[in-house]
Amino acid sequence: MLADAPLEPGALRRQASWRATKSAIMTSLMIAAVIVVAVPLIAVVWSVISRGAGVAASSFPDFFTREIPVVSRRAGPGMGPAILGTLLVTAGATVIAVPLGVLGAVYLHEYGAASRFARIVRFMATVMTGVPSIVMGLFVYLTWTMTFGYSAFGGALALACLMLPVVIGSTEQMLRLVPTTLREAAYALGSTKSRTILTVVLPAALPGIVSGALLAIARAAGETAPLLFAVGAATRYNPDLLHDANTALSVQIFGNATSSFAAAQDRAWGAALTLMIVAFLITFAARVFTARFALKR
Amino acid sequence: MNRTLVVGALAAVSLLGCKKKDDASATGALAATLDASGATFQKAFQEVAIEEFTATHKQVTINYGAGGSGKGRQDFADKIVDFACTDAPYKPEDAGKVKGGAFLYIPNVLGAITLSYNLDSDKLQLSPDVIAKIFQREITRWNDPAIAADNPGVTLPDLAIVVAHRSDGSGTTENFTRYLSLAAPTTWKLKSGSTVEWSADTQAGNGNGGVAQIVKSTKGAIGYVDLSDAKASGLKYAAVKNQAGKYIAPSVEATTAAGEGIEVQPDLLFSALNAKGDAAYPITAQSWCLVYEKQTDKAKGEAVKAYFKYMLTDGQKLLPEIDFAPLPKSIQDKALTQLEKVQVPAS
Amino acid sequence: MRLDLRGPDQLRIPTIVAGLAVLGAGVALTALAAGGPLGVLAWFPILAGLVVAARGTGADRAFRWTAIAAAGIVLLVLGVIALVMIDRASPVLGKMGLAFFTSSRWSAPDAVYGALPFIWGTLYTAAIAVVLSVPISLGVALFITQVAPRWLKKPMVYLIDLLAVVPSVVFGLWGVLVLSHHFGLGRSFLTAGIILGIMITPIITSLAREVIETTPASDKEAALALGCTRWEMITATVLPHSKGGLVGAVMLGLGRAMGETIAAALVIGSALGQITLDPFAPGNSMPAVIANEWGEADDMHKSALIALAVTLFVITIAVNLIATTIVQRSMRRSRGA
Repeated sequence: MLADAPLEPGALRRQASWRATKSAIMTSLMIAAVIVVAVPLIAVVWSVISRGAGVAASSFPDFFTREIPVVSRRAGPGMGPAILGTLLVTAGATVIAVPLGVLGAVYLHEYGAASRFARIVRFMATVMTGVPSIVMGLFVYLTWTMTFGYSAFGGALALACLMLPVVIGSTEQMLRLVPTTLREAAYALGSTKSRTILTVVLPAALPGIVSGALLAIARAAGETAPLLFAVGAATRYNPDLLHDANTALSVQIFGNATSSFAAAQDRAWGAALTLMIVAFLITFAARVFTARFALKR
Repeated sequence: MNRTLVVGALAAVSLLGCKKKDDASATGALAATLDASGATFQKAFQEVAIEEFTATHKQVTINYGAGGSGKGRQDFADKIVDFACTDAPYKPEDAGKVKGGAFLYIPNVLGAITLSYNLDSDKLQLSPDVIAKIFQREITRWNDPAIAADNPGVTLPDLAIVVAHRSDGSGTTENFTRYLSLAAPTTWKLKSGSTVEWSADTQAGNGNGGVAQIVKSTKGAIGYVDLSDAKASGLKYAAVKNQAGKYIAPSVEATTAAGEGIEVQPDLLFSALNAKGDAAYPITAQSWCLVYEKQTDKAKGEAVKAYFKYMLTDGQKLLPEIDFAPLPKSIQDKALTQLEKVQVPAS
Repeated sequence: MRLDLRGPDQLRIPTIVAGLAVLGAGVALTALAAGGPLGVLAWFPILAGLVVAARGTGADRAFRWTAIAAAGIVLLVLGVIALVMIDRASPVLGKMGLAFFTSSRWSAPDAVYGALPFIWGTLYTAAIAVVLSVPISLGVALFITQVAPRWLKKPMVYLIDLLAVVPSVVFGLWGVLVLSHHFGLGRSFLTAGIILGIMITPIITSLAREVIETTPASDKEAALALGCTRWEMITATVLPHSKGGLVGAVMLGLGRAMGETIAAALVIGSALGQITLDPFAPGNSMPAVIANEWGEADDMHKSALIALAVTLFVITIAVNLIATTIVQRSMRRSRGA
């Protein structure tokens, strides 16, 4: 091949340098992409911190503890009931979705394997991860809220439906990483299957399950659409999960985003800051868990 | 240790399901939690009224979710709220589906819907036909002769008109479009409803605040915004020609004037739109609160009745501050009489 | 001599009987307490029931059935969702028939509902989002895996995670108050597309990164040994290997962009009847319409909105399924597992 093409002096070197240049251009494009990704993140975080910290810090800790002003045009804190509402709804959703999800994944991996039922369930769980959150919100409104009224529990139900398939998926992945030898050892010692799962397999997979659940929780905490339909609008603290309207940070942000009154907009930014801090903390905890404790591929 | 943790956690969780018993204290003070939903038009009034009322009745909590008149009517019909507020009455076929039995319309506010605009000139005057044509995109520039006819002696710029309307379903839209159907029946073709078929080359905003934002930031924009939000956003609004032929600017006084002499039906339904009277602002909208005649819970029933009474008496004094108008005395009296029909169980 | 294979702490009570009896007592107690503080006491019989059930005979089988039931809940919930939504959507579909999906007029006062502009808006904004996001995501994924020095990799992964965790409503808030109002971009397909693009970038980046990392190191080293520049190595080994997985990742991002409600509702412009390629025009999307118009809708209008929700559901599910199949197949092929 080299014998065919007549080579002028320097041709090979020119070719080589063009290829190197091309590679350098591509690499710098990749770096540019990274900068482009960093820009909106920094912009959003900057907006939230600069506009939200003002409200939150000037009246610290009132912003996190005082009730939402009933008159939205009035300036001043706080977002206390929304924080409690977000916690209630998220905690409620977790309590429903995580045990069900873990048990479901246990069935899929430990009992079901390739059976038809398991394959259908796995398929449907994938289908369910794609349900848009507003569809879930409408569904909960049409079934739960119209029968039982506004409550934090309705919101928790909607979020649980959104979290369930995600928890099933990530738990199943973690269960797959548990070495079969562990299970076989337990059986050899005379343990029943259920006992093995509960005392050997789940503890081994636990850090991974926890971090997967934490990521699902972080996402659920930020959901707005399902809560709009199920939770109602409260300005006072309502620790009652099952009765009466409640509120949440995401709902407050949405409601205040288009207000004409600067005071309400300020509170929206403050709520956004709070929500982001909560979501970041949960994600950070999840990543630390994975790094330190989980089984590696 | 694990088991103790689990038991402890479960015990804590179960406490969350405890319902605070709604029993009136020994002194007979009102104590209840009321859930309500409905019109955003009334939201400002509900907020101040709730704040003042619950300041004196500390054991009452009222949660007003402004999800729209339609949602309010639906929630009330499904009996998942204790009262609701709406800018429009039930359609005849829907009124029969209300679960809690007989209910009452109690009017409580009158409010002006302004035509806010973004131009240099301060005094814009518009007649109903011109408004209809603008919002139907038949008039597209500010220096159109039809607009000039309403504003003798004023030079209007050669600027494109940007029409702003609501993106969300709204009782304000319904009242605004109904006004146009009444005042410009041959010109206005888009009919009336909580959403109508706006032309594609218009802008939409979420809530009164969203429309106000568009008008404020776009030169040459015009949109319909309730007086309260328009003032808060620092917008200019037009004087509208009323049935008596006078151009009236929206204000609390003009809104009250629109309420004078309105014909009220026995069930307290009425329309303040396109009111007669020299000083009346023609785009004045009304709003009602819905309440069941037969209350089922003593504590809640007493609280609802007391709150409604407050809204119709002392609460009316709060309205001018937030740029709404109190009801004319005749309607106020009729409403109070109607309110007496609400029966609260003895225990 | 029969081998007694029960564990030393097993009870002779069949699990089912013991469990049901004590659970029933617990539920009755809860009902009696009617939600007062006495409700706390109800937990003890329920817990006791669980403990007894765990130690009874047949506990193993009971656990298996519990797990099956939990898995079955997925089917149950999906089934109920489908039933309820289709039932409530049928009035409008009965009235409009297939014209619901093909006509452009959406008028509530006339009870005429055509969803085509919203379907278009959903697809168009999602397409803009993907077009904007894919080169960036791919670039970042390649950077993290091929270019970045080791000490930079972990912080970069954290950066991407941070972007993924920002709640969508915060993006919506930023979009409407900063991007749309402050920078004067207004409300249009483009603004919505930009926000959606920002939101799906971390998803595509994470998935792309995972797929790219499965490229066998031997292939890459072989390419380098033959004198390829870094870019040539990428095009010769990484990209062909990851093609399938990357396509799947993009489609998953597309699915997420289509289902996004709040951010879109705030910045898309909510205009009717817009089927246009002009990105600066205001438009509308299915989730935005549902969120905006639900509050004031009458029965037929609500039915139309639910029909929109079903349409959205079906389209996003289809995209998600195709994506997951492609990703799974390519990961399985590459890992040989």
